[in-house]
Amino acid sequence: MTHVAANETITVRLHLNGEELEATVPADASLTRLLRDRLGRTETKIGCEVGRCGACMVLMDGQAVNSCLIMAWRADGAEIVTAAGLDELPVTKTVRQSLAEESAFQCGYCAPGFVVSLVALLTQNPDAGRDDILTALEGNICRCTGYHSILRGALLAADRIGQQAQKIP
Amino acid sequence: MRILKPDTPSQALAMLSEAGPDGRCSAGSTALQAEWFAGKAQPSVLVDIARIERLAGITVTDDGLCIGATETLSAVISSPAIAARCPLLAEAARRVGAAPIRNRATIGGNVGWRKGCLLPVLMALDARLEIMTPRGSEGISLSDWLSQPAEPSVIIAILLPPQVARGRYVYRKIGLRAAFTPSAIAVSGAILADAGIVSALRIAVGGGPVPAARLTGIETLLAGQELDKIDWPAVRDAIQAGIAAPDDAFRSAHYRKRAGANALVGMLSGKPTEIPKDRRTIRPAPVEPQDEFRLSRKEGGERWHVRPDLPAKIAGSLPYLTDARRDDMLVGAVLRLDEPHARILSLDTSSAEALPGVKAVVTHRDIAGTNAFGIVVQDQPALCGEKVRYLGDPVAGVAATDCETALKALSLIEVEYEPLPIVGDPISALDSNAEPVHTNGNLAASIELKRGDIDAGFSAAAHIVEDVYVTPRQMHGFMETEGGYAEPTPDGGLAMFAGGQHGARDRLQLARILGLPEEKIRVVTSPTGGAFGGKDELTVQPVLALLALKAKAPVRMQWTRAESVLAGTKRNPMRIRMRTACDADGMLLAQEVDLVADSGAYASLSPGVVETAMEHACGPYVSPSVTTHARLAYTNNGTCGAFRGFGANQMTFAIECQMDRLAAACGLDPVEIRWRNLRMPGMPGFLGQRVAPSERLAEMLDAAASSPLWDATGEAEQNEVVGTGMALNYQGNGLGTIPPDAAAARLMLAADGRIEAHFGLDEMGQGLIPSIQAAVADRLGCARDDIRPVIADTALTPDSGSTTASRGGYVVWKAAELTVPAFAEKLLATAARLVERAAKDLKIVPNGIADAATNSRIPLLDFATLAAALGPGEHIVEEAAFKFPKSDYTNGNARFIFAFGSTVARVAVDCATGEVRVLALELHTAAGPIIDLAAYLGQMEGGLVQGLGLTLSEDVLIENGRFLTGNFDTYFMPTVRDAPDKMTTFALEDLDPADPYGPRGAGEISIGAVTPAIANAVADAIGRWPTVTPFRPEAILEACEAAR
Repeated sequence: MTHVAANETITVRLHLNGEELEATVPADASLTRLLRDRLGRTETKIGCEVGRCGACMVLMDGQAVNSCLIMAWRADGAEIVTAAGLDELPVTKTVRQSLAEESAFQCGYCAPGFVVSLVALLTQNPDAGRDDILTALEGNICRCTGYHSILRGALLAADRIGQQAQKIP
Repeated sequence: MRILKPDTPSQALAMLSEAGPDGRCSAGSTALQAEWFAGKAQPSVLVDIARIERLAGITVTDDGLCIGATETLSAVISSPAIAARCPLLAEAARRVGAAPIRNRATIGGNVGWRKGCLLPVLMALDARLEIMTPRGSEGISLSDWLSQPAEPSVIIAILLPPQVARGRYVYRKIGLRAAFTPSAIAVSGAILADAGIVSALRIAVGGGPVPAARLTGIETLLAGQELDKIDWPAVRDAIQAGIAAPDDAFRSAHYRKRAGANALVGMLSGKPTEIPKDRRTIRPAPVEPQDEFRLSRKEGGERWHVRPDLPAKIAGSLPYLTDARRDDMLVGAVLRLDEPHARILSLDTSSAEALPGVKAVVTHRDIAGTNAFGIVVQDQPALCGEKVRYLGDPVAGVAATDCETALKALSLIEVEYEPLPIVGDPISALDSNAEPVHTNGNLAASIELKRGDIDAGFSAAAHIVEDVYVTPRQMHGFMETEGGYAEPTPDGGLAMFAGGQHGARDRLQLARILGLPEEKIRVVTSPTGGAFGGKDELTVQPVLALLALKAKAPVRMQWTRAESVLAGTKRNPMRIRMRTACDADGMLLAQEVDLVADSGAYASLSPGVVETAMEHACGPYVSPSVTTHARLAYTNNGTCGAFRGFGANQMTFAIECQMDRLAAACGLDPVEIRWRNLRMPGMPGFLGQRVAPSERLAEMLDAAASSPLWDATGEAEQNEVVGTGMALNYQGNGLGTIPPDAAAARLMLAADGRIEAHFGLDEMGQGLIPSIQAAVADRLGCARDDIRPVIADTALTPDSGSTTASRGGYVVWKAAELTVPAFAEKLLATAARLVERAAKDLKIVPNGIADAATNSRIPLLDFATLAAALGPGEHIVEEAAFKFPKSDYTNGNARFIFAFGSTVARVAVDCATGEVRVLALELHTAAGPIIDLAAYLGQMEGGLVQGLGLTLSEDVLIENGRFLTGNFDTYFMPTVRDAPDKMTTFALEDLDPADPYGPRGAGEISIGAVTPAIANAVADAIGRWPTVTPFRPEAILEACEAAR
């Protein structure tokens, strides 16, 4: 087995989806394990725990990051938003709607991670084009779809969000 | 592990010095988890330097740029100062990791671990480091620093002189896939010339296993030379000789050196690598495009529906079975040995049982029933008692109050064992003196077929093509690993909630192991996060069940990805020797096939996989003589079984390449040679069996011939040569003639007015739920939303058979055909009574029952009112039980119903590196009427890219029973950038008149012809056929060089 029990625990204060939370975790615990196993936030999925699949993507201070690579203690004081906490962000509804319309996902286990990556991108860059989308999604693995359905949904969302952005003076 | 948080670099250094070798700096920490998973010990002290102000900031100085060590790669990429002064660094940083990694990974970390792929570019840019050492703060050139032994130090900043306008700056990272990849090698160079004379030159290599270094010997050689007169081929050879690169499991040292030197010289000289010429496949004669349906949301119009399960999946609110968390739930873990083949001498769990927090420890001694499972042959222990046969074999399970305690308990279990000789490859496994993996020897299955006079066929041949085609141990790679939870039920039974592909069979297998009657076991198998055949056999269920029963409490368990790699089933690796003969006109005369497949430690469905491969030994072609022989061997290499394609795609790779090679030998185009040999509708199947009507091979061949990809232009980049290829395939549906293949289903009006459709099938992403809604609603005349699929629960749903073998679509369609008429009659009869009309005057419309005589779709009576009006004990329900259609052949396993397809691939081959990019895939399919358009398209595109992964980058590497692949950092599934830019899918939906068999399975046809289509496209480009998958860039590079 490759797990090693940590000999120290650390108390972490989180701003999670707008809520203030406190949790005590082993020093080597990942943010993914904290979210899923201690806080029950299982919308953050677990795929590889080495940062190579993107299933556990969350926003940390506005940036998309693999929560499995974030040691829980590093999230102390940080603003964490999971896939279920994205409602406050203005692009989220359009992203979700567009992905659903294009039937972007199949098993859906990767979906929350993709949505976090896309929401981060389109929040930062409402004019994102195809290459920006490819770059933003490079770190999210999907095994079911072959990606094109996700790209179609992402492009539809980008198109809609870009148009909305143009209307705002 | 202790976390220390210094405020200054000197404090950090003091902490690191005190910690000694057990201390590590941490800022982005993007590599630590992977190191720990790979078995590297955790540091005892982690010094968090992320918040030290001195280490942050990107500033412009008189000498250039000063980049603070803790600046992230994302910051480097988006910095205007870097874009203006050192754009090469930003370009190189874009190729490190992936966007979310770059949001955390720092430039100092990339330098500090001495393996980062930015080291070559930083050296080419003449970077210096500002570092804090025990001697104080000092400056040192990066290349000098790298050549010195490591000492406790803190990198403060990276200092870069600006790029100059007259220089040529180049960078290339050659990876293992298109993006998010480790380096095979990264190379970089900067060349400055004054008046045509080289005045400065820096060349550096590194990346991954390649030691980062400047190639100073070559730099000296070229300094002062006239730029126009440089002998670049000689420079290339000198660079190749100057690179110190190691072999590893993924790429050879020779390849790294050769590809790195080619890439560097191509970029520095500005001259593209020479590309092979005049090796093109003859283009097929143009034909009219088929009357196919191009699948998309736009083309689909009203046929396109949003899947009902999708919004919740996208919002993250759909709980998977591995997501269950309850306060009373224990956590399960499995003990495995570090030996692929060993005899167990003793097993002592007493210390683990005594650990506080441990609620149950189970071993083989806890098995009341039969300690063996397997879909066809029960040769796999639930918990090993006598010996282990692969690294994934479980010897004990623990349930504890939390994960940490469970893992601690595992470490307290004492196992004495004696290593046995390891059976590491299927060919030596079949030697008479090989160590037996099972008592009955290592030959798990053997299949032979002889027909016609093969010697006469080969003697009369004008052309014979022979080669060995090798296919990989592909991993299913479903994003949700194997897992779920189990709980004891009050009647002494068990409820099991774990992703699977046939709940009723899982229940049967669990009943045998647990010694419980099947009625006492409930199995729920959906939703599951992908399966592809890899959850067909039992996975976590046996140990989970034993733990829950012994602990008398609910237990959850999900394999980590590392455990899934070790223990989960894989695609059977195959070596297929194929010798094919034709006459001068391209007519096949003889086909000889010899196949050896690796079963791994257990049989599971591997014998069926091999049988299916052999059923495709001639492809869809007619050969007057055939001799085939297949052997399946037990080894200690993991364990194998079902995977989408089920052997057909491996064999199709071989036969479809052989057809193109024979075409080339005969001077025919690839379509013409297939036409000449194609089986005709109405002929018996390959084994002589009767087959279903509606064959569409000719149409699929014509569709491939009409592809615009044959004449596409303009996609090649420097050093690339482009090619187009095609392949034809067919895929049997259902389990075949030998295994029982029955199904049952039920329609029922629920109390709330929804029409429940009960199927014991699984939603693993393929679109079962929308397919059930579509099949039932379309026949019934109601809306899709009126149908509520109830699936995959042995307590609620009838046994519909397995969700495998492209059979689910047929089962859904057939069940609707059988149940809907009588169900509709019952609905209408009841409605008639309630509204006091004749049933014949009523019809079913969305949401209820309407007057048949009007066009109104507004119901007279909605379903909810109808349901509420039913008397106590009165139900409207209709059930059907039926058998999957089969042929009459019983000498072996043969399929009756088939789906047909062809794939056209367009690729670009990089002649400097041997890398293959798939530019476009075009898929033509004939699988009967499409039940749900979006689900069908999803299956097609997903299968194509999964096949692309098998072809180009995926293989679980095992050496003598030990895994070199450990996780997704050593297994390379396609990313979004590996998917082709263009992917188009077509469907031909019609069936022959009076064909009673409805929609064909859509799950597997798409993966079937991808590999040979890509291989034939590569051959079109470079004149040689790759025969080993995933393609070795080294072999392709050699072929490019040989073909010049």
